[in-house]
Amino acid sequence: MTCEVKEKGRVGTINPIFTCQPAGAQFVSIGIKDCIGIVHGGQGCVMFVRLIFSQHYKESFELASSSLHEDGAVFGACGRVEEAVDVLLSRYPDVKVVPIITTCSTEIIGDDVDGVIKKLNEGLLKEKFPDREVHLIAMHTPSFVGSMISGYDVAVRDVVRHFAKREAPNDKINLLTGWVNPGDVKELKHLLGEMDIEANVLFEIESFDSPILPDGSAVSHGNTTIEDLIDTGNARATFALNRYEGTKAAEYLQKKFEIPAIIGPTPIGIRNTDIFLQNLKKATGKPIPQSLAHERGVAIDALADLTHMFLAEKRVAIYGAPDLVIGLAEFCLDLEMKPVLLLLGDDNSKYVDDPRIKALQENVDYGMEIVTNADFWELENRIKNEGLELDLILGHSKGRFISIDYNIPMLRVGFPTYDRAGLFRYPTVGYGGAIWLAEQMANTLFADMEHKKNKEWVLNVW
Amino acid sequence: MPHHEFECSKVIPERKKHAVIKGKGETLADALPQGYLNTIPGSISERGCAYCGAKHVIGTPMKDVIHISHGPVGCTYDTWQTKRYISDNDNFQLKYTYATDVKEKHIVFGAEKLLKQNIIEAFKAFPQIKRMTIYQTCATALIGDDINAIAEEVMEEMPEVDIFVCNSPGFAGPSQSGGHHKINIAWINQKVGTVEPEITGDHVINYVGEYNIQGDQEVMVDYFKRMGIQVLSTFTGNGSYDGLRAMHRAHLNVLECARSAEYICNELRVRYGIPRLDIDGFGFKPLADSLRKIGMFFGIEDRAKAIIDEEVARWKPELDWYKERLMGKKVCLWPGGSKLWHWAHVIEEEMGLKVVSVYTKFGHQGDMEKGIARCGEGTLAIDDPNELEGLEALEMLKPDIILTGKRPGEVAKKVRVPYLNAHAYHNGPYKGFEGWVRFARDIYNAIYSPIHQLSGIDITKDNAPEWGNGFRTRQMLSDGNLSDAVRNSETLRQYTGGYDSVSKLREREYPAFERKVG
Repeated sequence: MTCEVKEKGRVGTINPIFTCQPAGAQFVSIGIKDCIGIVHGGQGCVMFVRLIFSQHYKESFELASSSLHEDGAVFGACGRVEEAVDVLLSRYPDVKVVPIITTCSTEIIGDDVDGVIKKLNEGLLKEKFPDREVHLIAMHTPSFVGSMISGYDVAVRDVVRHFAKREAPNDKINLLTGWVNPGDVKELKHLLGEMDIEANVLFEIESFDSPILPDGSAVSHGNTTIEDLIDTGNARATFALNRYEGTKAAEYLQKKFEIPAIIGPTPIGIRNTDIFLQNLKKATGKPIPQSLAHERGVAIDALADLTHMFLAEKRVAIYGAPDLVIGLAEFCLDLEMKPVLLLLGDDNSKYVDDPRIKALQENVDYGMEIVTNADFWELENRIKNEGLELDLILGHSKGRFISIDYNIPMLRVGFPTYDRAGLFRYPTVGYGGAIWLAEQMANTLFADMEHKKNKEWVLNVW
Repeated sequence: MPHHEFECSKVIPERKKHAVIKGKGETLADALPQGYLNTIPGSISERGCAYCGAKHVIGTPMKDVIHISHGPVGCTYDTWQTKRYISDNDNFQLKYTYATDVKEKHIVFGAEKLLKQNIIEAFKAFPQIKRMTIYQTCATALIGDDINAIAEEVMEEMPEVDIFVCNSPGFAGPSQSGGHHKINIAWINQKVGTVEPEITGDHVINYVGEYNIQGDQEVMVDYFKRMGIQVLSTFTGNGSYDGLRAMHRAHLNVLECARSAEYICNELRVRYGIPRLDIDGFGFKPLADSLRKIGMFFGIEDRAKAIIDEEVARWKPELDWYKERLMGKKVCLWPGGSKLWHWAHVIEEEMGLKVVSVYTKFGHQGDMEKGIARCGEGTLAIDDPNELEGLEALEMLKPDIILTGKRPGEVAKKVRVPYLNAHAYHNGPYKGFEGWVRFARDIYNAIYSPIHQLSGIDITKDNAPEWGNGFRTRQMLSDGNLSDAVRNSETLRQYTGGYDSVSKLREREYPAFERKVG
């Protein structure tokens, strides 16, 4: 029995796991303070991405469209971008950063977005907004390349490339979190705080979880500032926690300013968090404090309560963002569980060379399949027609009907998780995330035992 | 001047013609905003695209079909699981969606071969399904794939399957409305008349422009069946593909959403001489009138009357319980296309609400015409609203509730206006007599939410209220100003239906009416 990596055999997609590149760029856009992105394409490319952000966070985020209509598709639509920038800047006086995010349609018709930006910088911005700081940033994210994951990666690089300057090197690090939740950012900043390390956090999205205030003044928006982004050029190291969601930016900074790039690991589980902290220590010289040893101990204690008795041998399928899936699989192995099927939803050719996947291939002692370019049918077909037996599914809400129809308990994790309340508040990373994940997996299994009356009496005493 | 200029839109003067405040004594000629024009780029409009109008709104509610989008995965993913159009076949169309997964090499070399492989794969994965719809997207429209040719080719090779093609790329029109039109026309051109149905009764209708949101269609079809009417097809909610191929044999097209589906009704009238009857399933009076009109058309008014009498007796006391408590509450009625005129007058008349604003994202001027005609003086009407205008309007009007979509609802939440989902509903269905009570109940629950009361309190202030006890009930908040007669009424009561008012309809048996013609 071995761990096998293969690409989905079918050409088509039955129930996609990922959406396309512009969504990733839009997620980057909402993480930056005073920023509203303009998506250059049909209106649906924005409307539905805004909808899914609002499904996940139960908040609304501002993103604009160039509203490509038929005439633009035929004659070119650069003028729509020019008009959109003008209208947006005129009506949103605080906006300073405007990513121009391309889509399949505008890449196919060949609109020269970089040229438009040059024209606007020399024309409109000088003439109409002479005293205003405005950054127009081209993001080329055609939908027929990569996925939301690579779109995010490209967009982080584009932002960093636009802003980063080497002015006065300092002791900060750059923390590229990848596509995570507010709860993750909070946990990561907590770890850095305990280590006494300052960071430029890309992106400060804790504020996505915003209040209703009596005066109605609160809005949900990211808080990474232009100053933070400029400062990425001064940092002593860049930590790209997710290999596929930040590496391009980290490599850019390394090449341009010789800032060491530390890629991964996604700090999911105790072991990966340990590695992250050790990497921080190596890069900054700061010791790992007792307080974190204490937190780590609390987490280990929580896991010890669960692993042998409940989690051992449980067969798990995991799908979603590659770094999340791999991180969860690694953590499951530490918890004595058996991830048997990992589904990565795009055709990134680099997956096979991922050292973590190679390590799985070398060391897993039971049958594990890793499917790239996967869709949900890869999971459902195995359950329905090929006898795959599972105890648990880990993944986002789009796969909910597999759990429901085949009566397999599922813990919602990743993006989006719209069919469960408030999950974005909780971390999956760090020691805190390890506790949350293990206990949620256990509670999900417990609820299922009771629902199915499957040795539910076990829980009387443990 | 009836046009309303938003402060936030002064820099885009053309917006001024898209909003009006209905003034005293003004007619539609004074107060009609422009509609269905190209969107102003960068305005943060709420409009969607023509692909979603065709595929997501109208195509996908068809229940026994493999719905494939020919393009990159995003269009498919993004429109999947964002609506509540259920069906009585375990929601097949909600659960499964298909993308041909067009990648860069296909953009360069063409994606027709890829499409064909996809079609074959999909039928293989779901051998029980023999029907398919294919939707063009921006990408495949621009590279010029001949989807129709591939569909024909497959149908020749696989005679047991039938495939419908809808060429409505995202950029085809100012909004989703362009897609509604395209799929209406494509369906009648390609599919109507290709199946001969079994006619089982004297009175045969197509139910058109109805998408079975939370079971609306099943509620309405229940009434039709109780009247002895055969529903040949529903366009499209809970509708079957082959039923919709047989639309040409109906005696009457009963049209619900005129914005999205009047096109096919008009074509059915021209091509097959089938009359169109516009109805309205929302509200006691509009619904009763609608059933009566259908009854009159077929000469079975007595059957309609029996249903209306029974339903009104059952549900009116519950509707009125809410009406007493909703009197004068201000509503922003901000739906997508046509609900502004379906709902405007009837929520005022039957629930006591006051509509202070209507808007439409993708409606045409005709929708505004009807909407404004049904509103009172002072109502602010907005075409193709955008984010800032919406906020400015909320600040100006201070409504007690907003009826709008999921994401704009989150915007309203932040400025402390409770929202109800006008597209997917909160706890629907909202059609039917019972459904209308459910709607009133949801509005009441939103406005009188004790949490909403808490949200307005600044706890840092010395004059913040001291609560005394640890709770408020909705009635403690809603009943303070009611007369004793209303408060203690023995006839009025709160909603007594269950959480699921639809599933039981699927088990129901219907009376057999003797046929007059063989």
